[in-house]
Amino acid sequence: MAEYTVDCLGEACPVPLMKVQKKMETMAVGDVLVAQIDHSCAMKNIPEWARNQGHNVEIEEVDDGEWEIVIEKTK
Amino acid sequence: MSEENNNTTPAAGASTIRRASSRAPRKPKKSQLPFALLVFAVMIVIGVLLSFRSSDLAMFWVFGGCFGFILQKSRFCFTASLRDPCITGSTSITRAVLIAFAISTIGFAAIKYNAFANGLPIPGQSYVQPISLATVVGGIMFGVGMVIAGGCASGTLMRVGEGFGMQMLSLLFFVVGSLWGAHDMGWWTVNFVANGPRVFLPDVFGWFGAVVIQLLIIALLYVAADKFERKKMGITDED
Amino acid sequence: MNEFWTKITKNRYYKMVFKNPFTYVTGAVLLAIFQIAIFAYSGNPWGVSGTFANWGAWLYELVGGNVDKWYYFSSSGAQATLESGFLSHTGSMLDIGIIFGALLAALLASQWKFKKIKNLKQVVAAVLGGLLMGYGARLAGGCNIGALFSGIASLSLSGWVFALFLFVGAFFGSKLLAKFFM
Repeated sequence: MAEYTVDCLGEACPVPLMKVQKKMETMAVGDVLVAQIDHSCAMKNIPEWARNQGHNVEIEEVDDGEWEIVIEKTK
Repeated sequence: MSEENNNTTPAAGASTIRRASSRAPRKPKKSQLPFALLVFAVMIVIGVLLSFRSSDLAMFWVFGGCFGFILQKSRFCFTASLRDPCITGSTSITRAVLIAFAISTIGFAAIKYNAFANGLPIPGQSYVQPISLATVVGGIMFGVGMVIAGGCASGTLMRVGEGFGMQMLSLLFFVVGSLWGAHDMGWWTVNFVANGPRVFLPDVFGWFGAVVIQLLIIALLYVAADKFERKKMGITDED
Repeated sequence: MNEFWTKITKNRYYKMVFKNPFTYVTGAVLLAIFQIAIFAYSGNPWGVSGTFANWGAWLYELVGGNVDKWYYFSSSGAQATLESGFLSHTGSMLDIGIIFGALLAALLASQWKFKKIKNLKQVVAAVLGGLLMGYGARLAGGCNIGALFSGIASLSLSGWVFALFLFVGAFFGSKLLAKFFM
C-alpha cells in the first residue's frame, strides 16, 4: 500500500484533474493519492470525478485556499 | 435532479482512508473575515460614490458584485461546461448551464413579449447576432482560447478576484486580443457579418412555438448529457 | 482576535452561505435570476467582453494610439462611450464588480490565496488563450456570456450556432492542452 503525492499547486483547471487521472491509472488498488491543490474549482471537480469512479475521497483544507484531496483507489 | 456531491467538509475524525505518512501538524488557519469586511466596506463606498455620478453606474456595480459572488461560490465555469465532457466525460456543469439557459429563456421571452404586445420596440435585440463565418471562426477561436487559458470571460474575471496570476495575465491579453479583433472588424463586417442573417426564433416559430421548441431542445440536451456521462463513467442504472 | 473571527465562521448558517460552495445547480438558478433581472432593469442582457474592447481602446489611447477611424468604434454610440471614459462606463463597473464580488466571496470563505504563475507554459497558455478569446469574442459579437448565455436566452439562433462551434473549439483546445500544456 503505497502513498503518492501530486503537486498541483498553482495549476489551473483542468490540469489538476488531468494529472490526478494520469497518476491514478498507474496506481494499484489500495494505494492512496494525495493531490495538493489551490484551485477552488479543482476542489469540486476532482472529488466529483473520483466519487463517480467509485474511489474513496476525502478533502482537507490545509490552509487558506489550499486543499489536499486524498483518494484511495478502490478498483 | 442533481446527484452532485457537495459534502466538501468531511466530518472531523471520520477518516476512513489510512494514510501511510503521518500528517504534518497544521498551522492554525487565519480567518480572512476581517479582510472580507474591509473589501465589503470598500465596495459599499465605491457604490455610494458611483451613485452620485449616476444611479445606473451604481446599479451595474451591484450587479457585477452579485454575478462575481455567485460565480465564485458555485465555481460556475462555462469553460468547464464545454470542456469537461471532452476530458473527463463529466457533464454536471453542462447540465447546470442548460438549467440556467432554460430559466432565463422563460424570463427573457416574457419581457420581450410584453414589449412586443404593447407595441414597444423589443429590448435587447442587438444580442440577436448575425450568423456568418465570423460566428464560426470566433466560436472556435474562443473555444480553444478559453480551454488553454483556463477560463472564459466571466471565469477569467472571477479568477482574477480569487488571486490567480495566470488569469491576470490572460485578462491583459484578452483586452489586447479584443482591441486586435476590433481593429479587424471592418474587414469581417464587410465580407461576412453584414451578409449574415439575424434569426430571432419567435419570427420563425411564433412566440409560443419558439419558447417551447427551445425548452424542448434544452431538455433533450440535458438528457443526452446525462446519458453521455453515465456511459463515459460506466455508471449503470442501479436505482 | 483570530479566535473571534473563527468563531463567527463556524456558525452553521455562516457556513451554509459563505463557507461551503454552492452546487452548480444553485449557481445556475441564481445566475439565471440575475440575468433576467439585469435585462429587466437595463433592457440589455448581461455582457462581459464588449467592455474589454473599450478597455483596449483606452489603453491604446494612453500610449498615443487612436481608434476613431476604426469601423468598430465608428458609430456615434461607441464614440460617446469612449469619450465619456472608464468611470462613466456601466460595462466597466459591471466587470470590475465581478472581480470584487469573487474576491469578497473567496475572502468570506477564508480561501483567498495569491497564486503565482508557476512556469513558462502557463505564460504561453495565458497569452495565447487571452488573445484567441479576445479576437474570437469580437468576431462572434460576444463571449460565453454575451453571445452564448445572453444569445440563447434572447431566443437567437446565433447563440446556438456559437455554442456548437464553441464546443468544437473546446474539443481541440482540450487536445492541445493535454499535449502541450500539462
